[in-house]
Amino acid sequence: MKKLIAIVLALALVLSLAACGGAKPAETKVSVFWYDEADVYLSTVRSELNKALETAGIAYDNQYAGKDQAKQLEQIKTAIAGGTTLLVVNVVTSGDPDIAQTVLDAAGKVPVVFFNRPIGADGSEVTLLNGNATACFIGTDAPEAGHMQGKMVGDYVLANFDTVDLNGDGKISYAMFKGEEGNAEAIARTQFGVEDADAVLTAAGKPALEYFDAQASQKWQTDPEGAWSAKAAKDYMDTNMVTYNKDNNNMIELVICNNDGMAEGVVESLKQAGYNAAGQHVIPVFGVDATDAAKALVAEGSMIGTVKQDNVGMAEAICATVKAIAEGKTPADALAALNDERFTIAPECASKLYVAYAPYLGE
Amino acid sequence: MANPIATLQRTAAEYQKMSKKDQKRYITDLILNNALYILMLAFCIYTAIQRPNFLSMGSLGNLIVQVAAYLPMALGIAGCIVLTGTDLSAGRAVGLTAAITGAFLQRIDYANKMLTFLPEVTPFWMFVTLLSVVAIGAVIGLINGFFVAKFSLHPFIVTLSTQLITYGIILWFFDFNNGAPIGGLDEIYRNFLGTPMFYMGNTPVPLYVLYAVLLTALMWFIWNKTVFGKNMFAVGSNGEAAKVSGVNVFLTTMLVHTLAGAMYGYSGFVEGFRSGSIAAGTGANYECDAIAACVIGGVSFVGGTGKISGIIMGVFVLRIIFIALTMLGVSSSSLYIIKGAIILCACALDMRKYLVKK
Repeated sequence: MKKLIAIVLALALVLSLAACGGAKPAETKVSVFWYDEADVYLSTVRSELNKALETAGIAYDNQYAGKDQAKQLEQIKTAIAGGTTLLVVNVVTSGDPDIAQTVLDAAGKVPVVFFNRPIGADGSEVTLLNGNATACFIGTDAPEAGHMQGKMVGDYVLANFDTVDLNGDGKISYAMFKGEEGNAEAIARTQFGVEDADAVLTAAGKPALEYFDAQASQKWQTDPEGAWSAKAAKDYMDTNMVTYNKDNNNMIELVICNNDGMAEGVVESLKQAGYNAAGQHVIPVFGVDATDAAKALVAEGSMIGTVKQDNVGMAEAICATVKAIAEGKTPADALAALNDERFTIAPECASKLYVAYAPYLGE
Repeated sequence: MANPIATLQRTAAEYQKMSKKDQKRYITDLILNNALYILMLAFCIYTAIQRPNFLSMGSLGNLIVQVAAYLPMALGIAGCIVLTGTDLSAGRAVGLTAAITGAFLQRIDYANKMLTFLPEVTPFWMFVTLLSVVAIGAVIGLINGFFVAKFSLHPFIVTLSTQLITYGIILWFFDFNNGAPIGGLDEIYRNFLGTPMFYMGNTPVPLYVLYAVLLTALMWFIWNKTVFGKNMFAVGSNGEAAKVSGVNVFLTTMLVHTLAGAMYGYSGFVEGFRSGSIAAGTGANYECDAIAACVIGGVSFVGGTGKISGIIMGVFVLRIIFIALTMLGVSSSSLYIIKGAIILCACALDMRKYLVKK
């Protein structure tokens, strides 16, 4: 009897699954694969993309890999077996063309729109995209955020040099908070956020920025959990300010963060130490992402600037591309049809689209 | 309380009576049993020589403030470890309660207020929020405890499941905020936790340090002075024996997990303030540090042993490592290696005591 019930239940399960997968073959069915559901920026893209796809009347589903590339590949294979006609993929392992190739092999003739996380480095993605007519990439030029942040920092420090230089020694000491080790974007932001600021300063005859701890073995502090978290930045900043503070006349004069979350943690720490609130000295803090929380801090003056990743633009670009491909265009033609100043086709590759970053210093 | 000097004299007298071989073994045991503290002392001395500021008042203040933030969670999870279990859902429970705290306590004039229908934050509303999140944490713990006790499932499995479910709820909750972090927290809430009580050096010591002290006292009382506390240790060291002696194992297990959950709820309440804003990823892997702190402090996975003072020591050790390495400016890679090595050593030394007993 028990066995019979088990068999009946198993059958019911199989049938219900089969019923779920029984979509009409001719219809466009988009599957969107996200590297992780908790990513702050991508969550805002997702909410915009869901709206856009619903408005366009395109059937879609979202799947999350939880930062596990192997899991994502299985999800992709399962989706194709289930009749998905278009894949929108945010790869887990960024910057590796072999992973992208594996996805394309699994996809076969099904078109693939890669987005956000880079699928190659140093031009390897161009070779890949040129060799696959069914694929395209929509993303940002990863180092651009770092460059933009660096220039913003440089311009701000140059314009307010004497205010920023708290101890008046003619040099600006800075702290840098890195989101995670081994992430292509974090590396680029950590590097260019300072290099480009230095370029602006030295061109104007000012000394380059100096890392606050001359004896440190690296010129940044990384979230030990690799989570780009406010908590880690706050713990670091609290600890740094024990040694580097006003009383010792060596207070950290500038803080650059890989993202807004970490910038918020730093602002929180500064506020408790008697900085960055109304009527107090503001240590300039810079982030990336332009989250609502960070925008509010910029508005109240306790944070200086951030770099906006255009989530609406990203979602619109993906949705329009998906729609064009569904209407029979090739991915490259679909990208070319996007006529908007926010988007640029990469000069070296026709099937690679960049959504522009924008500096954000308040409205 | 025995007179410590008399105890020391007695120990010295016993030591005199031992043979040479026993004396040698006695010293070795003494060193090994306290190896972690000896190592930590050496590490602190090294750091202090390299960075004299490490021992300044400001640095001690910073240490205490950080310990106060991490301690409540460790105190909660310790109970689960005493029952030979663990709790993997702790971090996500903190994440969920932090998110709810944030959503309930946003400024009324904040442009991106998530729950727009909520009224302006008042002290009363803040206490309602505090009680709600503690209750929500407790419910997560209660569910853990129920499945562990009722079906004799290993807590690893049960809490892994609730970790996933809680994370799912967090993501669903953030969907109402378009996935964006929850910021713009009200001043009443921020002042309740963050108003400096006094300054140590240049480090402000906020009010939540006081709350952490009170919670620790409460937990000490529960562990040492109540029937429930005694039952917890009895169940932890031998569940069968406890059952035979009339302890309600089912109820004890449920309550231990519920109490742990309530502590996560409180941690979530504080976490929102500490971070300034709460993202969906807030709380991920927080349980790792809490479990590590307990184990370092001698709350053994063998079950039935552990002291509040040990947990405090464990949290102190982990925070000292973090602060010292930050001040020394070591690379990220060294930080991981050193932390891992210390946890491993601590556990090995801890187990050694039990192996010797056997």
